Amino acid sequence: MRVSTSSFTDGFLYQINQLQSQQTTLQGEASTGLSITEPEQDPAVMNQVLNLQSEASAGAQYQNNIAQIQNSATTASDALNSLQSLVEQAGEIATQANGLSSPTQLSSYATQVGQLIQQALQIANTQDANGNYIFGGTETGTAPFSATTSANGDVTSVAYSGNTSVADSEIAPGLTVSAQTPGENNTGSGAEGVFADSRTGADLFSHLISLQQNLQSGNTSAIASTDSPNLTKDENNVVTQISGNAVLQSTLEVAGNVAKQQVTTETAQMSNDTSANLAQTLTQLSQTQTAYQAALESGTMVMSISLVDFLQ
Amino acid sequence: MLGLFGTLDMASRSLSVQQEEMTISGQNLANVNSPSYADEQLVTSQSVPLPTQIGDEGTGVQMTGITESRNPLLDSQIQAEASVTGSLNAQQNSLQNAEAYLDEEISSTSSSAAPDSPNGLATDLSNMFNAFQSLSTDPSDLSLRQSAVGSAQYVTAQLNQVSAQLSTVQANLNTSVQNDVASSNQDLNTIASLNKQIVAAEAAGGSANQLIDQREATLENLAGLANFSTSTESNGAVDVSIGGVTMVSGVTAVDQLQAYDPGNGQLQVRAQNAGTNITLTGGSISGEITARDGALASLQSGLNTLASQLITQVNTIYSAGYDLNGNTGQDLFTGTDASDIGVNSNVANDPSQFQAAGAPNAAGDNKVALELAQLGNQNLAGLNNQTFSGNYAQTVSNLGDAISSVNDQLNNSQAVSQMLTTDRASTSGVSVDTEMTNLIQYQKAYEASAELITTLNEMLQTVVAMKTV
Repeated sequence: MRVSTSSFTDGFLYQINQLQSQQTTLQGEASTGLSITEPEQDPAVMNQVLNLQSEASAGAQYQNNIAQIQNSATTASDALNSLQSLVEQAGEIATQANGLSSPTQLSSYATQVGQLIQQALQIANTQDANGNYIFGGTETGTAPFSATTSANGDVTSVAYSGNTSVADSEIAPGLTVSAQTPGENNTGSGAEGVFADSRTGADLFSHLISLQQNLQSGNTSAIASTDSPNLTKDENNVVTQISGNAVLQSTLEVAGNVAKQQVTTETAQMSNDTSANLAQTLTQLSQTQTAYQAALESGTMVMSISLVDFLQ
Repeated sequence: MLGLFGTLDMASRSLSVQQEEMTISGQNLANVNSPSYADEQLVTSQSVPLPTQIGDEGTGVQMTGITESRNPLLDSQIQAEASVTGSLNAQQNSLQNAEAYLDEEISSTSSSAAPDSPNGLATDLSNMFNAFQSLSTDPSDLSLRQSAVGSAQYVTAQLNQVSAQLSTVQANLNTSVQNDVASSNQDLNTIASLNKQIVAAEAAGGSANQLIDQREATLENLAGLANFSTSTESNGAVDVSIGGVTMVSGVTAVDQLQAYDPGNGQLQVRAQNAGTNITLTGGSISGEITARDGALASLQSGLNTLASQLITQVNTIYSAGYDLNGNTGQDLFTGTDASDIGVNSNVANDPSQFQAAGAPNAAGDNKVALELAQLGNQNLAGLNNQTFSGNYAQTVSNLGDAISSVNDQLNNSQAVSQMLTTDRASTSGVSVDTEMTNLIQYQKAYEASAELITTLNEMLQTVVAMKTV
């Protein structure tokens, strides 16, 4: 083949350019540790990384949601536990009052029950760390329970101003839970009310008020026949709520672990997809460098001489 | 018999032939680096012999012409490949611009963090749906409402910005089409006028090598702008037709390209006089149109679909919700597509107006916030049964596919161009070594002819001296 002067330089330049662009790519990989940075380098991997990124970010968000709901659930759990011991105390008073006839003792029980009603009201208007009322259904902005008192300071009735809905939050794709519970639900459907529910017959405040009034009037037979069984219904209702809360907390914990695991897997997958194999990259880089050096040296050697150098 | 004077004359002609050889070698050496130059050779032959009784007697050498080593097949292949390369280069430039504007670039902020793409719309979309999720856990919290509104504003701002930048890329492509059409027309005129000079020169019996080189360079330049076909006439003129329409016929430029607006602002090309629409398949003009109406247009429409789905889907859910003041019926997003999507200014100024609740006067009701959050995971019929994030990732990787395919084709085309150029250089290129060898040869021949003249001179002196004796 006839080799003209320009065909040699053209070919030389082309080869050098190829080697240079190869070097640039490999050097970029080595310095960033990433085998792909732009969509054009590997569109399929880019697609996967963007999807994984959005899933991992959603997973991290689920963990935030779970932490938030766990806070509310813990607050609710504390409140429910206090409520349970309160209802137990009221039940004990009702049992002990049965058979008593001393008006002093009955009135002292009545005072104790009055204090229990106040405590129960306090529990019923519990707020979580963010200032939301936890027993008002979705009406979290205003205190759900308000009491009417008689002239001598006794609570005569307690009104519920909350609603019977609860707000669900997502803790995994498609899985929603709620730490909210309505204080009262007499509609017969939906989440069970903590203080009153028509399905279980629970109505803590009116039962406590009735107990207090029967103690004051010395009507111990009504206490035995009506108030005691009613308070048992209330206690059962609270126990159901507590076990519901426990189920919620364990669900949250499981979902939290799943979300965490998922984020870890997705993050690892993203690293796998995009990380450069440094050993391979550096080996290739040094090969390319050697080739580049060889091309430059041999090229300049050949180009620097021609017949002109040997003509006198 | 030539006689002494006849031989002297022969030697003198021989000197001028060697001189001409030197000149041509000099011309070749001077053009050793000119890209479309073809190696020239002086064609010499024996001059007409004198018939004598003892047979034909030579009368020396004569020059019959200057030829150049051109391979028309290689030339036309190089032109065709220049069109391919031109088209792909134009596509690569504009698509890589669009890629940069999308700003989906994977980076790794620290060795512990996973590599991700932190700057583009993908992250903004995730952040928005995450903010809706957060809001659903405490819908009455004003700072969570603020961040939900803020993250929606990031999404709309990013969509607006990318959409505007893509429009700029498309507008620039239209300008490039116009400029390239003007350059093509200039080349067509140059080819016609070179044809005219070549025809005139060759009709006079000469050769027009320099003009042919110039015409080849112009044809190759034109090939980079628009693909064409040529046919050579017997008089040496080259006819050029683009898209089936004759543009240069012989010595006249009969037609020109014209960029016109078919009504949608996206320039197309037609023949100015014939009025025929021309679909170019190579050259930068075709690359600009292909990129504009192909990958860029589908990127633009992908983003518009995403934006319009975002507007309708989010607003459908959102407008049924209630804000903290018990009001309902507002939209979250305004606008119709990526270019004008925005966040309702009422809620942007006052996050308490974010309609997160499904019922009035229930601060803790998160029905709408939750539905908005869950919308992020939903496969939507309007997005080819993909989620918002999934659809956007697909749009990005579609652009990546388009660029990657152009990159591959461009690499191939450059390798083919390189091979063809090498081929042509081995036929038409100048070799310094060959020319230097030739120079020695011509120099020696010149010396020899000069020696002949010296000898003849001495012989003539001898003849003249005979008379004085």
